[in-house]
Amino acid sequence: MTDDNQRDATRRSVLKGASAVGTAGLVGLAGCTGGGGGEGGDGGSGGNGGSGGNGSEGTSGGDNASDSGGSGGGGGGSGELELVHWWTAGGEQEALNALIEGFEEKYPDVAVNNNPAPGGAGSALDAVIKNRVLNENPPSSFQIWPGEALRPYLDSDVLDDIGDSVWTSEMQDAYLQGPKDAAAPNDTFVAVPLNIHRLNNLFYNTSVMEEAGVDPSSISDPKALLDAMATIEENTDAAGMAQQTQSPWSTVQLWETVFIGEQDTETFKSMVESGDASANEDAIKSALTTVKDYKEYFNQDAGSISWDQANSKVINGEAAMIHQGDWAAGQYRAQDGFEYEQDWNMVAYPGTEGVYSIVMDSFVMPSNNPSPEATKKWLQYAGSVEGQQKFNPIKGSIPPRTDVPTDPFGPFLQSQIEEFKNSDTQPPTIAHGTAVPPEVKTSIEEAFSGFIENWNVDRAYSGIADAISGN
Amino acid sequence: MNPMDLVSRLVRSADDEAHEDADVRTDGGTATSERQGSGRGFLASNRNLVESLPFWLPPALLVGLFVYGAIGWNVLISLTDWEGLGSPEYGSLDLSMYAQLLGDDTFIIAFRNTLVLLIAFTVVSLAVGLVVAILVDQRIRFENTFRTVYLLPMSLSFVVTAIFWSWMYNFEIGMINQLLRLAGLDFLTQQWISDPQWKMAAIIFALMWQFSGYCMVVYLAGLRAIPTEQYEAARTDGASTLRMYWRIIVPQLRASTTSAAVVLMVFALKAFDFLYVLFGDTPGPSVDILSVMMFREAFSTTNWAYGSAIATVLFLMALSVIGPYLLTQYRRGDL
Amino acid sequence: MATDAPAAPAEPSDDQADPTETRESDRGLGDQLRDVGPGRVALYAVLLALGAFYLAPLESGLLTAFKTQEAFFSTTPFAPPPIDGTTVAPWLSAFDTLSGGLVNSFILVVPATLISALLGSLAAYGLTNIDWRGQLVVLLLFVAGVFIPYQAVLVPLTRFWTMVGLNDLLAFWEPLASRADLVALIITHAAYGIPICTVLFRSFYSTIDGEMLEAARLDGASAATIYRRIILPLSGPIFAVTLIYQFTQIWNDLLFALVLLSSPENQVVTIALNKLKGSMVQQYNLQMAGAFIAALPTLLVYVLFGEQFAEGVAGET
Repeated sequence: MTDDNQRDATRRSVLKGASAVGTAGLVGLAGCTGGGGGEGGDGGSGGNGGSGGNGSEGTSGGDNASDSGGSGGGGGGSGELELVHWWTAGGEQEALNALIEGFEEKYPDVAVNNNPAPGGAGSALDAVIKNRVLNENPPSSFQIWPGEALRPYLDSDVLDDIGDSVWTSEMQDAYLQGPKDAAAPNDTFVAVPLNIHRLNNLFYNTSVMEEAGVDPSSISDPKALLDAMATIEENTDAAGMAQQTQSPWSTVQLWETVFIGEQDTETFKSMVESGDASANEDAIKSALTTVKDYKEYFNQDAGSISWDQANSKVINGEAAMIHQGDWAAGQYRAQDGFEYEQDWNMVAYPGTEGVYSIVMDSFVMPSNNPSPEATKKWLQYAGSVEGQQKFNPIKGSIPPRTDVPTDPFGPFLQSQIEEFKNSDTQPPTIAHGTAVPPEVKTSIEEAFSGFIENWNVDRAYSGIADAISGN
Repeated sequence: MNPMDLVSRLVRSADDEAHEDADVRTDGGTATSERQGSGRGFLASNRNLVESLPFWLPPALLVGLFVYGAIGWNVLISLTDWEGLGSPEYGSLDLSMYAQLLGDDTFIIAFRNTLVLLIAFTVVSLAVGLVVAILVDQRIRFENTFRTVYLLPMSLSFVVTAIFWSWMYNFEIGMINQLLRLAGLDFLTQQWISDPQWKMAAIIFALMWQFSGYCMVVYLAGLRAIPTEQYEAARTDGASTLRMYWRIIVPQLRASTTSAAVVLMVFALKAFDFLYVLFGDTPGPSVDILSVMMFREAFSTTNWAYGSAIATVLFLMALSVIGPYLLTQYRRGDL
Repeated sequence: MATDAPAAPAEPSDDQADPTETRESDRGLGDQLRDVGPGRVALYAVLLALGAFYLAPLESGLLTAFKTQEAFFSTTPFAPPPIDGTTVAPWLSAFDTLSGGLVNSFILVVPATLISALLGSLAAYGLTNIDWRGQLVVLLLFVAGVFIPYQAVLVPLTRFWTMVGLNDLLAFWEPLASRADLVALIITHAAYGIPICTVLFRSFYSTIDGEMLEAARLDGASAATIYRRIILPLSGPIFAVTLIYQFTQIWNDLLFALVLLSSPENQVVTIALNKLKGSMVQQYNLQMAGAFIAALPTLLVYVLFGEQFAEGVAGET
């Protein structure tokens, strides 16, 4: 294996690659990743959709790929609606199934092809969707965080404007400003938020708090929480705060919540939007320092557990509190003999009263849509009172629409809905994609992956600053 | 092949290279001398080429199309500045992505980590596999059962072994720390997968757990191929057991080592899944490796060209780590 | 023999360590150790300890698979499930989710493994046992192909298969057309398996005695005949190795399957396994039960072929 041979081999494969690409340009890259089995699925109408798309692919000589993709879909009529999402397990799966059932009842002529890209919170979905979008063979609709998470799709103009077809004025009136902003990052509506989780919660085990003699609602700001946790660890065996630091996202969301708690929503927004962190250097560092100080009160095994294992420490009293999105409440609900208000409770994170940090999921309409009419119906349904009422109680989230009846929701979610409606601001989040483009989010997570190893505030700050300025 | 052939082969390769007719490629032990042979074999060689074509050409074409076509395309992409969800521009190609890599601290760190992982994982797994193979080779009872048990971890996917190990490494209730406490070695307990000092070692250890069984199987086969006369001879010479293995047996396992090392490198390249399940796409500077970084750049942030450049570097690195070793083995006739 | 293995009851049927009678008496170290009682005890102690080491992490997974979700969170992963927290529901539910994927995985893995092993064997033969000028260069291409990181080729691969439009080409036969993306995945895995198979076969073939092959040639045997009559019958053990390896690799692959399979009907077991993973709340019992179900076929392959592997290499030809 001499160097010469190696170089030789490389050069040759480059040439081969080049010729392959040349062919690609000629043929035109229409439709059908992996043979387009998406359409090939279940016989009749599906088969038609598939062959329609493929026929045009075979004959297209130029760059009319997008046209042929569209007509291929048109050929399939409003036949099949392919949905790609990551809700494959537990309550999430049940919630989506309820939504799909409701949709099928309402639109019996549309066949739903429920095609999850499993792997948990976006990981596999990213690869699958991006690949399919690149190949101009998107599904009818797919799950994605709204807001800045849509940025790469918007920059490449691969999402259709659904302002007229879906976002009726009736629907617009029912949404608060925060979610509407996230649905239209470029001021045209491209996404339909389906559910909202709140991020700035502080959940606690009531008996541990009572034993410690700490009143969580009296804690006024993030730094005051330190004293409370000191008291807890003094008076009980519990850890002050349950946390996972195995992967960085929990620490990112803790930091951004502390940031809002120490500053305010405006400062947070200006920090992420300005592209310049230096104006907020002190604020960023202060929040980082606070989080670093919290670390003394984390459970000792924070570095080797997942967030739900951390959450179970609140349930069994090994920890007093946890900062987490309100999906954490789903775990409490599933635990027998661990009841809301008696055994656990929640306050807005200290310093963030009146703030409802929103984590959302949404569906979009990709361009070259294989089933534009069916997709439109789907998005309308996802944005309807009925759809959100079917989905959210099971998912354990609240509807973004403010006019959804609250009776199907349990007492905890009802109180969240109340706080949402009365909230002053609904800031987006970094950890869950809505506040910053994916590239910035990843860079910030990189900075925090270092922070949870070395807890060095200055280094974390420069990582964050670089991320925000796009270096 | 009968034992006598084996013996003669081994004797020959232990000796200097033999002198075979260049017409027929005989065995590994004499490969080099044949290849360096004079023009005498040229015609015969051409005839052999034609004769050999039907065997290697079809697989070569498949590999050429799918493997080299794809990696070639990847290299081409790395020369563009493709990002986002549009199409790449192949008009102006340059090395700017590679230049950017050189100035990227994350890349330097990931490069170093990858190198450490590749080498340490391979060496540790080979060593453990060899020791286990020697133990299993002691004509034990229930050999099948033991072998199967040792190989069991390899059959599982990273998705679950990563979860197993996050439990094993748990600071409070993890088995490793619990055992240390049981043994009164509390001072040795560590935050195995969050302390940057231990993180990489912990990952390598877990990967070793999963794949040393494979090395064991390969070495076991190698050990069994060594003629028993050699054990006898060593024993009559009065060599100690350890010495016998080190001096006589281990050197004859070169072919096994080569074959196991190649496979281990492949596994090391797949360590991506393991890290991804444990830490997501940002595992932290102490264990960030090129394949994770590549995935992050390409699929999380749609910097396709940059991701492709990282992939190309990773490919070349894997080659240059194992290349010289393979070349040596080839010269010796063990590959 | 019965006295030297105190840890193990005599059970000849399980003791297949040494199929070749010829080696019975002339193994040096084996005899040595066998004669020493304490050494034998220590050997078995070490072997058992190793067994514990390899099994311990699995134990936690197996126990977890029998726990209810509540029991999982209230006990440590290594503790057995409490009486009221024991359930087999995860196994049933996991099997339910995985069954379709299991079938598809077999449809994928069996041909892909066989094709790559067979082509690898042919290539190794052509590049090892027939000598010709320039084979080094071709060999290099095969060897280098082993080290391609899969992530690097995802985008080119999907683009390639899009260009090919396989379900058009297969449209003549509907059952095959609906499996088009599975066919694409078989071909892709076969192609990506060839390099490693070639390397494995080559390291084995280079130990085959050349004089024997030469003798056959002088008798007028063609290259194909030599392959069929001499090489192939010798290849049992190495086929076992490559089959185990390839089967495991392809069976456990998620990345290619994710991007190349787009219809739910064709999804393989790794995708189904990942479906058991939630985006937020994890059901570990379900995941673990699923993992063991998904791993069963690979285990089975090892148990089946492992024997042949060990026996073959021990010198039977």
